[in-house]
Amino acid sequence: MDANLEQKYDLDVVRWFTVMAVVYLVVGAAVGVYIASELAWPALNFDSPYLSFGRLRPLHTNAVIFAFGGCTLMATAFYTVQRTCGVRLWSPRLARFTFWGWNLVILLAVITLPLGLTQSKEYAELEWPIDILIAVVWLAFTINFIMTIARRKTSHIYVSNWFFLGMMVMIVYLHVVNSLAIPVGLFKSYSIFSGVQDAMIQWWWGHNAVGFYLTAGFLGIMYYFVPKQAGRPVYSYRLSVIHFWSLMFGYVWLGAHHLQYTALPDWTGSLGAAVSIAMIIPSWGGAVNGMMTLSGAWDRLRTDYVLRFLIIALAFYAMSTFEGPVMSLKTVNALSHYTDWTIGHVHSGALGWVAGISIGAIYHLMTRLYHTEMYSIRLINLHFWTATIGTVIYIVAMWVSGIMQGLMWRAYDEYGTLAYTFVESVDAMHPYYAMRATGGMIFLFGAVIMLFNVLMTVRKSLAEGNLDRARALPAPA
Amino acid sequence: MNSLSDYFHTDWQAMTVNDWIGTILTVVVFVLMVVAYFLVFRPKNRDRLESMKHIPFDDDDDDDEGTGARDGRP
Repeated sequence: MDANLEQKYDLDVVRWFTVMAVVYLVVGAAVGVYIASELAWPALNFDSPYLSFGRLRPLHTNAVIFAFGGCTLMATAFYTVQRTCGVRLWSPRLARFTFWGWNLVILLAVITLPLGLTQSKEYAELEWPIDILIAVVWLAFTINFIMTIARRKTSHIYVSNWFFLGMMVMIVYLHVVNSLAIPVGLFKSYSIFSGVQDAMIQWWWGHNAVGFYLTAGFLGIMYYFVPKQAGRPVYSYRLSVIHFWSLMFGYVWLGAHHLQYTALPDWTGSLGAAVSIAMIIPSWGGAVNGMMTLSGAWDRLRTDYVLRFLIIALAFYAMSTFEGPVMSLKTVNALSHYTDWTIGHVHSGALGWVAGISIGAIYHLMTRLYHTEMYSIRLINLHFWTATIGTVIYIVAMWVSGIMQGLMWRAYDEYGTLAYTFVESVDAMHPYYAMRATGGMIFLFGAVIMLFNVLMTVRKSLAEGNLDRARALPAPA
Repeated sequence: MNSLSDYFHTDWQAMTVNDWIGTILTVVVFVLMVVAYFLVFRPKNRDRLESMKHIPFDDDDDDDEGTGARDGRP
């Protein structure tokens, strides 16, 4: 029993964030499957504005990115900072404020987005009062993390904390600048930026939400949980340091590659693409560093289902950090932009990398936080296969659909007129949209299995009295 | 675009304050990156940096890692 953990560290808030992350994974994936089904079978709109794709799509992205991803990041950051610094959280009260504040943000998103209350900025749809709440809660999270590091017993700050810290600082900066707006009512505001500047700021935020939130933060998870689960230190610590600084330096340049062939000056798109290509080097360095941590112990992948999640996530990380830069090149972008290829790319990162590394970390955490074994190891294995197969079906459908769309849109006949109408391209997408919805359903099935397994593990721990016993043990001298 | 010099031509007179701030910051950060690479890959620093990789295992006496089932193994 991990008795000392309960006495040495504050794990209550980590437990809450961990369980809620799994709940939000199911909710976010379920909304995703529903809107994917709407695209395949539009009758599912039921002519209700509240169920329309335009309103539910931001609910899906907010639920998976900020609810599931946010709770995972907060659980893992609060856990790893305590364990790598050898101290309790600086302020348990601030941590509880972070938990309730973040969940309030999620609740407000669930209410406002289906009502159509939005700033219409991708991944930053929430209206200004919620933006202020996000900034306050995020700052509380950041300050608590920094102060915990400041009181550490170790001389060095472990690299996972660097990645978490880089994410926290940059998200404050990005969120505040991108959300600058003039309110004209409680639920309506207008961005202070306009025209092409608005677009540039939006994608400076948009790509850095990917770069710092969905990449750097989850790399913080990777650098702690992969070595811990593998039972061996990270392959190269020096490579991890270079990985960190290259990421921090490089990611801020990439946003302009979302705006190729627009009113944005041409050179900005070229610069974004050039730095994107350069970013393959640190990204692959990091992925190789994580995978090579298993060097000499590859056989563990045959038997350790949690490690499988972590390593397959790194494979998806390597794949999507190669695909993204290639898509940013103007020649490729001319074909891929505005097509489903982008959706496929995003989901290879979101389902394969972000969800994969999160799920692995959550399974690892559950046994430590609840002082018991998982309710069912076989269900973890079943979850691994449903998640992997669901993800592959999803992204293959979107790749085929996206490339087909791009080719149909640019096809000319001998008279120089478009070979296909837009409606013909939509009609051609139908089998792939059905296939995408099927892939999503398989992934969702895995998430439901995980929620069941997690809840049964909590119940098992309570029935065995392990958590209470661990809490009641005397503190170490 | 006739030549490489045309491609890299800059109208220095047209540079605004914002342009100069951005340019200087970029060059400074780039130099810092080079310094970071030098320090990290300097053979003298190898052992000190690599010793940090064991930090996650420093408090292993607090939990019983490595027992098959809890590590996701059947």
